[in-house]
Amino acid sequence: MAREAKLTEAKLSHTAALILQALDGGFVYGFSIMEMTGLPSGTVYPAMRRLESNELIRSNWERQSIADAEQRPPRKYYKLTAQGKATLEASRRRYPLLERLIPTEEAKTV
Amino acid sequence: MRPPAMAHRLLHLGMLRCASLLVPSRQRAEWWREWKGELWHVQRACAPRGAATQEGERKVAAFCRGAFQDALCMRQTGRQSELPFAEMGGTARQCMLIVAALLAASYAGSLLLPGVRAERSLWPRKVNPNLVLIEQAGSNGSRPTISLRQLRGWEGRRQKYFDGFAFYQVTQQNVDVETRSNRPHGKARWGVARASTNFFTLLGTPVAFGGQLAKPDDGMLAVILSERVWRREFGADQNVAGLRVRLGSRVARVAGVASDASLALPGSVDAWLLDSNAENGPGGSGYVIAHLTAAGKVEMWASCVQITASAPDDADDDLLGISLGDWRPTQQSLYWFAILLAMLCLPAITSVSLGECSVNMQRTSWLKRINRWSFFGLKIAMVLPIIYFLSLDMAYGCTAIGCEQSVDIQLVSTFAMCLFGMRWVMKDHRQRCPVCLRRVAHPAQVGQASKTFLGWNGTEMMCMGGHTLLHVPSLPTSWFGTQRWMYLDASWSFLFAGPGTGIENDAVAGVL
Repeated sequence: MAREAKLTEAKLSHTAALILQALDGGFVYGFSIMEMTGLPSGTVYPAMRRLESNELIRSNWERQSIADAEQRPPRKYYKLTAQGKATLEASRRRYPLLERLIPTEEAKTV
Repeated sequence: MRPPAMAHRLLHLGMLRCASLLVPSRQRAEWWREWKGELWHVQRACAPRGAATQEGERKVAAFCRGAFQDALCMRQTGRQSELPFAEMGGTARQCMLIVAALLAASYAGSLLLPGVRAERSLWPRKVNPNLVLIEQAGSNGSRPTISLRQLRGWEGRRQKYFDGFAFYQVTQQNVDVETRSNRPHGKARWGVARASTNFFTLLGTPVAFGGQLAKPDDGMLAVILSERVWRREFGADQNVAGLRVRLGSRVARVAGVASDASLALPGSVDAWLLDSNAENGPGGSGYVIAHLTAAGKVEMWASCVQITASAPDDADDDLLGISLGDWRPTQQSLYWFAILLAMLCLPAITSVSLGECSVNMQRTSWLKRINRWSFFGLKIAMVLPIIYFLSLDMAYGCTAIGCEQSVDIQLVSTFAMCLFGMRWVMKDHRQRCPVCLRRVAHPAQVGQASKTFLGWNGTEMMCMGGHTLLHVPSLPTSWFGTQRWMYLDASWSFLFAGPGTGIENDAVAGVL
């Protein structure tokens, strides 16, 4: 519990917060995050590696059968972990404009 | 796909492939798969239906450039965490691996360096101390003084002091050598010693790269090259045995190479022609080597023996037998001598105390203590052969066989390496946690000598396994003379939480 409380207070950089917000907004692979945030690939992918190593996001490969059906290579999808969601909540308080830049799935459906 | 588009695609893939080389190998396949898949999507997005535009190509190229940054990032983070080697920083296992690698490298060097190999092939090179060079008294070995007639007279009689004779006679001869290389080779003039076939056997001198001293099967005489000629005329070819050499009117086959140093005999000899009829040569005087019997050795005085030989004309010859015993030590004796010297000098450069008296014997089990001492012994057992092989590599790696400088180099290098090697072993042992054998880290200076009169000041180091703190006094005093270990109880464990506890994660996440 003490650990979670501490994590929610963690201070992410604006870039990392933006990427978490994009993932929460349904942009779940590298290129879509690049397009959404306008960040270059050299920023997005390394930041995602760090976020993943800190267990704020996790990745999994798309099934080969799905990719084959659509005649394209499989993609690596990223997803927020519970820890990542808590950190994102803390970051939203720190960066109030975050949600306005990239609306979340819930905000889009409202 | 149009050719320019194909070329661009190949170029982009090439960029990704280059970037992938920066990624640690165990992560490379997945990294490549992700970036290749993403590139496909980027290309589709920037050039729909293959209609590439300049702007689109620029975007794709920018995307590919980002791969290098990502690869570098993975490389940097991989260095910190990927290898088990990094995880075992400072552990006993890491120490053993490094020392074992050094041992393997030094041994491999001694096997691969031609000079060391040649030197080893000549072991043991010590000349038999029972050998004497017989010459006329007062000649000082400057010229051959023993005639064949005299030698035959000695051999024909029963000898009390000698049980073997070898004879050689040096003449200058025109030589035509055959080489395996294609370089043209002109005639040379060598000092050729016609020696009796028992010459090398009597001397006990080893012959490198061949060793067939008997008459070769093809009936040709065997010739042993001096090391100087082997290097000069044959380019130190280790496959020199078997080559034909024309010495004057005779053709001989090379049977090996003898070290110049181990054949420090009078007469400037470039090659030794082993001939059973050497004593039936052109006449004149030569040199005689004789082997002393036990009775003969008793007569030796200060490496010499006075000999009075009866000549065929009943006159007495005053002769002198000078010992050929090699004063030079062997590699092994040099090594052990240097080790002994270094051990004697060790207290001058480091404390030989291991601080054992300060270890709380109640807190370490017998097993841990045995482990600790085994580790200490193992380190010494591995460092000593490293020193031996490295000293050989240095001494004989780039010097001539039997060069006098090699002896000096080996002695000095063994001494220096042993001195500093043992210093490292002692220091390393003093700084290993008695519980887990991991090296203590994070030294912190505690107190100031100028301000804490009669108070403790020194350095504190911490075992990263959370077992101990090591206190090392800056100024040894009567109440704090040597280092002390402080054992940490469970209340300290929060400082040493592992990766799974989240403490590190918090710290890292805070700076993302």
